[in-house]
Amino acid sequence: MEVVKAHSRVRSSGRGTGVLPLLPFFIFTGFFLIWPVIAVTLRSLHGNKNEWTLANYRPILKAGPYLHAFEVSLKLSIITAVIGSILGAFFAYVIVKYAHGKFGAVIDSISAVFANSGGVPLAFMFVAAFGTEGVVTTVLKNLGWDIYAGHFTIFSFTGVVLVYSFFQIPLMVLVFKPAIAGLRNEWEEASTNLGASQLTYWRRVAIPILTPSFIGAFFLLFAGGFSAYATARALTVGTVPLVPIIIGTLVDGNVISDQANLGDALAVGMIIVATVAMTGYIWAQKRAAKWRAS
Amino acid sequence: MKRFSLKWPLIAISSTLAFFLFVVPLYGAATYSFKGNGGKGHSLVNYQWLIHADGFYPSLLTSLKLAVLAGALNLLLMVPTMVYLNLKGQKFKPLVDFLCILPLIIPVVSLAIGAQVAMPEFLQNTEYELVFFFVIIALPYTYRALDTSLQTVALKTLVEASRSLGASWTRTIIRVIVPAIRSGITGALFLTFALSIGEYTITSLLHWETFPTWTVVAAQQNILGAIAISVFSFVGAIVLLTAIALFSKKRVQQVEVEA
Repeated sequence: MEVVKAHSRVRSSGRGTGVLPLLPFFIFTGFFLIWPVIAVTLRSLHGNKNEWTLANYRPILKAGPYLHAFEVSLKLSIITAVIGSILGAFFAYVIVKYAHGKFGAVIDSISAVFANSGGVPLAFMFVAAFGTEGVVTTVLKNLGWDIYAGHFTIFSFTGVVLVYSFFQIPLMVLVFKPAIAGLRNEWEEASTNLGASQLTYWRRVAIPILTPSFIGAFFLLFAGGFSAYATARALTVGTVPLVPIIIGTLVDGNVISDQANLGDALAVGMIIVATVAMTGYIWAQKRAAKWRAS
Repeated sequence: MKRFSLKWPLIAISSTLAFFLFVVPLYGAATYSFKGNGGKGHSLVNYQWLIHADGFYPSLLTSLKLAVLAGALNLLLMVPTMVYLNLKGQKFKPLVDFLCILPLIIPVVSLAIGAQVAMPEFLQNTEYELVFFFVIIALPYTYRALDTSLQTVALKTLVEASRSLGASWTRTIIRVIVPAIRSGITGALFLTFALSIGEYTITSLLHWETFPTWTVVAAQQNILGAIAISVFSFVGAIVLLTAIALFSKKRVQQVEVEA
């Protein structure tokens, strides 16, 4: 998961640094990754008559449903990234500290499944648990707490926050665990020997070291939540206006004729937001790598 | 030691939290999926419906087929690339590294729209176009898995030994390097496979039917059936991954080395 790390641990060996053996990789990523992005960007800058224009971006920039969708998407990804990173960091700490050997390996793989479960199954599982007739809803009702008494439904914004947390927290565990495991015992011993209390050690040593990794992970969670499509699609069927869902609807055909390339503009808008987030991630990872170089 | 006094309270708090956040929803869904007709009693009726539902086998087969192809193509592309990068192509490593995180940066929805615009007609007409995009989506994970694995072996020594004994490059990769980085390859293969099986976004935006898209459509007729599928695939994935984690000791060690 932590992708930016250790660029050059092994130093060069020999002079044969031709690009030829890497051509298949560059051609593949060029054609299936870079070219689609360029193509959608170019088309978003064209109008119906194939003329250059910025008109496709206008609906996003003025107040209206599309700007609103960006606001809702941003709010959703920020809230779930906050919940996910804080709770996930806590779990990661407990796991690194107390879960070793095979038990640790099992927890690892379970986190991996949960973290990558941001898909269709997750949505239906939460309907079963927290829907109007859901098992958890019923149990809570029998205990005297009707979660549907207020505005809550599993198909609402709060519902999506609940479901997203289900994969954001384990994702944080996966991403943040190496950082916590990288805290060396020697550092704690050294600070104790110098007379620091446990609290001082955390405040002056551990937290400053962990902060860049934490910020990096936060950005990664943010980007993941912002781009997630499948869960919200299967869960809400459009009741919560999120950018990816709106793009999906546009693609499925309900296009007003003079907004043919609006979907492209929205897609490029998403790329821009995600790029800002990932720049933060990469920056934070570089800061974090300083402590890991050994 | 002060540290030890915190051990049990921390474990208690985190277990309770994990119980309510993860076990309760999963358990709730599992119970729900065993509901009988009209929501009464317990039975396997939802799972039976599943097996007989229209499109269950075809869509499952399509998903399996595409996932196997994606796994194979991924290894074919990435194993030689990563070996070369770690052996001789260090100066290209930052670039490859960057290209391999891009799939995390570019929202999958945007990539799908781009694919609609950019892919040639003959590719858009076949479901096999998905294989290429599954490989792209798996790149960040494959890169990590293979790179970590390659850095734990004395790659240069192995290659020099093999080459000086007269083995060709192909033979060196297949007979020497691949066995040495088996754990990374297993990891990469499994991740690609799992991601491909569950991929919904690109598949549905490009209007193909695989198992996940079929599930969403089927849910409109029978939500209980869809819940049954979901529970089944989720528990299946956990069992499979846990089994792999427990039976490949190498992989466990490797995780610890990386940390």
